[in-house]
Parts: sequence; structure tokens; C-alpha cells
Amino acid sequence: MSTSPTKSQPVRISVFNHKGGVGKTTLTMNLAATLADMGRRVLIVDTDPQCNLTSYLIADDVVDDLLDKADSPAGQTIWSALRPISEATGSYKVIKPQLTPVGNLFILPGDVRMSEFEVDLAEFWAQCFQRKLKGFRGTTAISELVSHVASQLQVDYIFYDSGPNIGPLNRCILLDCDYFIIPVACDLFSLRALRTLGRTLVSWIKDWDTVSELAPEETFLLKGKPKFMGYVPGGFKVYGGTIAQQHSSFLSQIEKDIHSQVVTLLRKVDPELAHGTISQFKLGEIKNFGSLVPASQREGLPFYSVSSGTPDQRAMARRALFTLAKKVEARILDTSK
Amino acid sequence: MTDTLTHPERQLIRTLLQTYDGHRPQIELFRDQLLVALNSSGALRGQIHSIRSRLKDPDHLRDKLARKIFRQRERNEPFGVTHENLLTAINDLVGVRLLHLHTRQIIAIDAALRDVFNENKYALLEGPFARTWDDESRQFFEECGITTRVSPSLYTSVHYVIGSASRTTVTAEIQVRTLMEEVWGEVDHTLNYPDPIDSLACREQLKALARATSSASRLVDSIFATAQDHKSRTQARPVRRRSRSTAPNSPENVPVPPSQNAETPENG
Repeated sequence: MSTSPTKSQPVRISVFNHKGGVGKTTLTMNLAATLADMGRRVLIVDTDPQCNLTSYLIADDVVDDLLDKADSPAGQTIWSALRPISEATGSYKVIKPQLTPVGNLFILPGDVRMSEFEVDLAEFWAQCFQRKLKGFRGTTAISELVSHVASQLQVDYIFYDSGPNIGPLNRCILLDCDYFIIPVACDLFSLRALRTLGRTLVSWIKDWDTVSELAPEETFLLKGKPKFMGYVPGGFKVYGGTIAQQHSSFLSQIEKDIHSQVVTLLRKVDPELAHGTISQFKLGEIKNFGSLVPASQREGLPFYSVSSGTPDQRAMARRALFTLAKKVEARILDTSK
Repeated sequence: MTDTLTHPERQLIRTLLQTYDGHRPQIELFRDQLLVALNSSGALRGQIHSIRSRLKDPDHLRDKLARKIFRQRERNEPFGVTHENLLTAINDLVGVRLLHLHTRQIIAIDAALRDVFNENKYALLEGPFARTWDDESRQFFEECGITTRVSPSLYTSVHYVIGSASRTTVTAEIQVRTLMEEVWGEVDHTLNYPDPIDSLACREQLKALARATSSASRLVDSIFATAQDHKSRTQARPVRRRSRSTAPNSPENVPVPPSQNAETPENG
């Protein structure tokens, strides 16, 4: 069944940028759905307290019902699963992944109360530094829950969707990932954000490494080595097929900054964290597909499957996404030796 | 020392110091974790006056490695410290000192320390053993089940070496000693470290101070033993009148430190 590059463990990927509005959720959904259309089994984990992805992929009345029942014993959101950890009453509760409009694509629904779990995570992190088992259990709870669900579903890929910040929740998710992809918008703030992003990631990786080295033997630990797969520039205006002049200068600036603010810093910690050439890091471009974007969010389908836009637009989107998905798989093959 | 280091030996020491520096964040964190564990033990807090800690100064590590090289060379043994085992071969990169008031507290401190090691999953790699130089003190520690080693440097303290029992093993030396011994130790250290003082008068006075320290320690022990005795007598009286079955406990069945001023053995 599985024709993915990985035979045993699913590959964990996070599309991450703490700068908001760069198309994280849209990219996560479209990439995950495209891989699912290619025959892979994919699980999306919505850890963003805003739950945007959950609302794209699950009908509103179902989402409402899920959130209403989240605190009950029948609760099926990610908060329902983690609540015993938060309240220190036991281990995580196994929840059922939800089906989505896309075949082979599953989701662990998000919950607004993940912002409460985030507060706990800050404390768990501090306890890890004190070598307290409770801290390690809390910090790795999401990872263990996801492993459990992923092995039941036999998925090839796990995508985490995260909120736009550099808080404890995203730290814990990034450190659990095998790869991360940075979506970058073509604006000044996006460029500035790369600097913080690179430095923050490096300090997370270093801190976790130090903590892990001293953790009591047989403690379950996060992998803590998220590799930089590459970046995806997006959000440009397209005039007759070519990118606007101003944006193309952004593109070369993004390339430079990715190298100096992210790749170089990661390589100093461990060359394996940022393996590849400048051109390999550029995974693709997500142009502004106009009406396809809101339609994709509304219908819970990838750009190319929505009922809006023109056939040409959809064909173009399909080409872009399949190229991106194939490049992602090629990068994984290339860097997982 | 008349020995000199060969070029490869100097090179090795230099790179070992770099390895030490590279492990610094882990070692610092290990020290902090250990201090949190020690400070949060209620049983220990009741016995301990204060806790001191330090990470080994790189210069001191350099000297220690050089001394080790000379010693192994003299014995015709290979120098066993490598980049891989530096953190365990040199087991006092983290040093923690627990200071307390009187000798007999070591019984409760030892029990509390073992609880801390168990709870926090630290492995006891060495010890406890007591360095001591006087016979009565040796007898006391042995009755407590603590092995003793002769200490030519005239100080008395109990040593433990623990390891982190983790992917990277970091070790720490924990010393337990009385405040009196700490004073002597600090004076000795200040005068003789890193280079021994060349004044004969000072060296003689230090030896005399060791004996005065020993006497003072005995006096403190004696005061606490007397106070304990007094307390159990005065508490016992009303109880005794009521019934025989609730008669006061006989003096606890634990070894008593020498409480009389004994002759101190001559020490070369």
C-alpha cells in the first residue's frame, strides 16, 4: 500500500513560521492533501489553538459538536487527549482521528483550549531542566499521542499545523518533527522574521540536546533534530504569468536570508540539520491562486479540486502542488540516508 | 615537579580542556539539577547548614591532568583519560560540599542523600568513604558503615561520587564535612593551592590548626551529645511516672562519636 520513501516510521513535518499570514495553514493543507492524492496516507495534527485547519477540513456543525464535547469522557479533540496530562490525572487519552473530504487524509481535531495546554508546556519544559520525570512526560505527550494514532492508521506522513508564534507549544512540535518547511511571504516583515526564526530554532535544539543528554535513562524523549527541508515563497501577485518586479527582488533576498539566518546557524549546530544546496532548499512557489484559496478553505479540498476558479487556474495549481510534493519526497529521500 | 610534559602530552591536555569546555552547558545543568534535588530534600534541610558548589576551574583541571600524567608515567601505566571518558574519569568536575554542625549528623545525612540519589535516579558510583586522620574518628565512621581512608592532608570529610545515569554520564563529587573542618580546609586551600606555601612556620601552624580543629569538632559533638542527653532526661520524667511500658528509650542505638578530648595521633 505504501509507496512513500519511508518504510517504517512516518515522517513528521511542520510548516513553520512564527510570522502570521504567510500561508502556513493553506500550505499545510494543500501539501498534505496532494500527498494523499498521490496515494500516501497522511495525518494532520491541528495543534493551533485557532483550529483553522480543523474548520477547513471538518464541517462546521461537526466542529461545534467536537468542541462542545471536548471536556466530556467522549471528547475527541486534541485537548480531550491531553487533558489527563494537563490535570496530572494520568497518561494521554487515545482519540479517534477524523476523516476529511480528501481520501487517505485524516486529522486530529484542534481545540481552542490548547492555549491552556501551552501554559502547562512552559512548566513541563522547566521541569525537564530540573530532570523531573513529570516534565518529560508532559513535554513528550503530544509526540506519544501522535505516534499511537499514526501507528493505528499506518500513515506515511504526519503534518503538524501550528499557530504563528515561538511559544512552548511550537517548541515542542518542532522538536518532535523530522523536517520543517518555512513558508515566506514576499514582504519586509517576513524577511525580518527569518532572523528570529533561525536563532530560536537553534536555541531550542541546543537546549533540548543538553536536557536529553542528562535525562534519566529510559525516559521517552523527543527526537530534537528537526531538519530544514526548505522554504516556499508565496503570496505574490502574478501579472500574466510572471512575478511582479518588486517580488522577484524579494525572492533573491529571501534566498540570501534563508541561507545566512537559517541554514548557516543550523549547520553550526549539526551539518545534518540543513543538508542541501541553495536550489534544493527552494521547494517551490505558491502563487496567489485568487479565488482558489478561499474555495480550498471552504471546501476542505486542495486548490486543484475546488469548484471555483477556471480549469486553467486549477491545472496550474495542480502542477505547482504536485511538483512541490514530489520535491518534498525527493528531499526526504536525499536527506534520510 | 621536575618532570616536563612532552609535546603530544601538552597537546592532549589542551584538547581535553576543549572537550571540557564543549560539555560545559551539560555540566552546568547537571550541577543545577543536583542542587535543586538536594535543596528540595526536607530530610537533608534539617541537618545541613549550607551547600556550596563549584565547577572545576579549567586551570585546575589542566594541573590535575598533568599530575595524573606524571603519576602514571612513574608507575609505567598508560594515561587513561580520553575525550570519551573525561566526564567520568575526572569525577570532581562538579563539586558539591554539604556543611553541617556536628559529626553524628552524618548518619541522617547519609540516609537522606541515598534517598535523594534514588528519587532522582542518580547512580552512586563511589563511596561513601570518609577521609580522616584520627583513630577515634575512623572508628566512628566505620561503626556507621562508612569505610575510611587515611587522609595525609589532615582533613576529615565524607565523599560520594555520583553519576547522572543518562545518555551522557556526568559525575559529581559530593563532600560532607563539618563547619569546623571547612574552616581548616579553606585556610589550607588558600595557603597551599595551587602551590604549597614554602614557609615552614606556616606549615607548622597549619598542622597545629588541624589539631585545634579536631578538638573543636569534638567539643561541638560533645555539646550536642550532652544537649541530647539532657533533653531526653527532662522529657522522660513525667512519662516515667505514668507507666513502665512508656519508659523513655534507652539512648539511641547508634554509634556515638568520640566526645572526649583524645590524644591526636602524630602525623608525619
